[in-house]
Amino acid sequence: MDLFLARLFDGLSNGSTYALIALALVIIYKATTLINFAQGEMAMFGAFVVLVLATEQGLPIWVAVILGMVFSAVAAAGIERVLIRPFDPYDHLPLVIVTLGLFLSITALAGIIWRFDPRAFPRMYPAGTALTIGNATLTWYTVGVVATVLIVAGLVTLLLNTTKIGLAFRAVSSNIESSELAGIRVGPTLQFGWALAAAVGTLGACVFVADPIRQLEPSVMVRVLIFAASAAAIGGLDSLWGAVIGGLVIGMVQSIIVPYVGFIPNEMSLATAVIVLMLVLLFRPSGLFGTARVERV
Amino acid sequence: MSARFIWSANSREARTYKIVGWTLFVIALVLFTFAYADTAQIEIFGNGYALSLPRASKAIAFMIAILGLQVVVGYTGQLVLGQSFFFGTGAYLGAYMVADHNWPWVLSLLVVVPVCFIIGAIFGLPALRIKGLYLALVTLGLAATFPSIVQLDALDEYTGGASGKTVSSDLVPPSWLPLDGISSIFQNIPFFGQYFGEGDLSSSESERIWKFFLFTVLLAICIWLVSNLIKSRSGRALRAIRDNETSAAVSGVNLAKDKTLSFGLASALGGVGGVVYVAELGIASPLDFTQLLAINFIVGLVVGGVGTLSGAVVGGIVIAFIPDWSASTESFPGIPERWLQGPTGVFILGALLILLTFVLPGGVVAGMRRIKGRILQIVPQPPKGARVPTPPDGADAELRHEADEITAGVAANDPLTDEPKD
Repeated sequence: MDLFLARLFDGLSNGSTYALIALALVIIYKATTLINFAQGEMAMFGAFVVLVLATEQGLPIWVAVILGMVFSAVAAAGIERVLIRPFDPYDHLPLVIVTLGLFLSITALAGIIWRFDPRAFPRMYPAGTALTIGNATLTWYTVGVVATVLIVAGLVTLLLNTTKIGLAFRAVSSNIESSELAGIRVGPTLQFGWALAAAVGTLGACVFVADPIRQLEPSVMVRVLIFAASAAAIGGLDSLWGAVIGGLVIGMVQSIIVPYVGFIPNEMSLATAVIVLMLVLLFRPSGLFGTARVERV
Repeated sequence: MSARFIWSANSREARTYKIVGWTLFVIALVLFTFAYADTAQIEIFGNGYALSLPRASKAIAFMIAILGLQVVVGYTGQLVLGQSFFFGTGAYLGAYMVADHNWPWVLSLLVVVPVCFIIGAIFGLPALRIKGLYLALVTLGLAATFPSIVQLDALDEYTGGASGKTVSSDLVPPSWLPLDGISSIFQNIPFFGQYFGEGDLSSSESERIWKFFLFTVLLAICIWLVSNLIKSRSGRALRAIRDNETSAAVSGVNLAKDKTLSFGLASALGGVGGVVYVAELGIASPLDFTQLLAINFIVGLVVGGVGTLSGAVVGGIVIAFIPDWSASTESFPGIPERWLQGPTGVFILGALLILLTFVLPGGVVAGMRRIKGRILQIVPQPPKGARVPTPPDGADAELRHEADEITAGVAANDPLTDEPKD
């Protein structure tokens, strides 16, 4: 039972990080039906900026996180304007290629600037345990991460549902041509989506590496992207709360099911995520909460 | 705009052009082989850039894998990003057959090709339902899992775990091949002889030459097979699927069969590339086959030119040499040295990928064709008895120009190329 609880808590903290990156993927997918393969790397870069602000400039960590999110948002808005907007949103191949190019360039840029030695990330949550049940301990980190995810998902929902730009964003994600006819400026709205996604993603990367057992290095998000993409697909790729639930599901699968099922070795948690992703896409392509897509020919 | 020279395909000029072109190409290749059998370097700005046969052989391995991507991405239009999975499978399987069962390398292909074909076809089955970006995601995930699959404890005795699988080479040149003789002929050419080293070839040099020769032949066979496939009925079906799946199905293309075929073939080519890779390197280690390699293959595909066979050749050269050369660039005028010590190669590949998507979506091959098209066009000869409408001499220049455009639109038929994508 203790072991189960310990794994449950592990799953909660991992799953919440996946949920944050999945949220970022979903925001961009909602806007452009594009999966940003560079999302994880953009987040990693943002986390490095936060690290530099916090350790070299001596800013309090949460101030650094917010400045880092702003930096990522501005950078992502620029990337959207320069590299994404010129392409036809319905032709996926060039867009996938551009995001893959971003993936390579951003990893390499981080490697050139900050090198590949892992660095300790400042604590974002109080140290110590919040709750001890038997031998299983619930750390403040886990509590903090889960709270962060719920707050962020709530804020994003609020932003999209109550503000003018949120309304424009929802209109564009529902139908680009109609919203253009209705006088919405599609370009800046999509740019807003990219900025929002990058900010959320950066927070996700910070939260991920703020776990005392992890360190920040340029390749830290490579695997996370696959987990997050599976999470987003489970949730339905265009549902914000679906992404949160999908992230938790993937986290649980990774830390509860994989260790318990004897024949799946531990290193295979990534493969398990890929298999889950494949099964979801095969049998329920619209995920748990996504809107089913109707394709017109 | 018409070209400087326009030759009909069966004319004497066109035939001479082809023969001379290919002969020069083969001669250049042979000269390269013997000149760079040893690890040779070019010096630019004080950096040594290796230009040796082992790297060229590595490039051939990549070319074959990219050729596979051309089939499935370029011609069938399926966003498959996981070629490194099959590249790795081929590499490990080849190493296993050769190291543990003492098979010759060439025969290991008899196992690798069908196995990779079947695995690819099996992964192709879900792809009948999973499309577009989702397929890209799943296949990228597949590529990411490969290193952890080969490091499984259960497979340790077959794959060598984290340290990799070493294998020795049996690709020794046959004794009747007078490599030393050829080498000494080159060495005796006045002035240029110095570039070919001195004395007899060492055993490792002649082994390299032999391997490079074998790999080149293998690559040529692969290109020939794929180019035949593309021109065949199945190839037309694949292109129909790429252009519009629904209309292809309506026109009687069996989507399930042809997509599976395309997946299987691409994976088999990936496997062949992997065998070449490990036969050259002598070791298959798990971290060589990560999703970074998968993305590098996409770089090669795009930089060379999506949907062209010669693009695979260009792409293989690009992804084999650019990372190595960037790593050996230690000083460059105008750039601080600190910046050159990181993964500059990866950055260049990424930037190249984005840049080409903007300025030259057809890749390097499309650019070269455009230049070539200004100088030379080879137009197919009309069938016997067909009347070619030619505007009378006095006719409007506009009309004459239009006729030129029409003949130019019928693509030139090079051995390495097929008709342009659009």
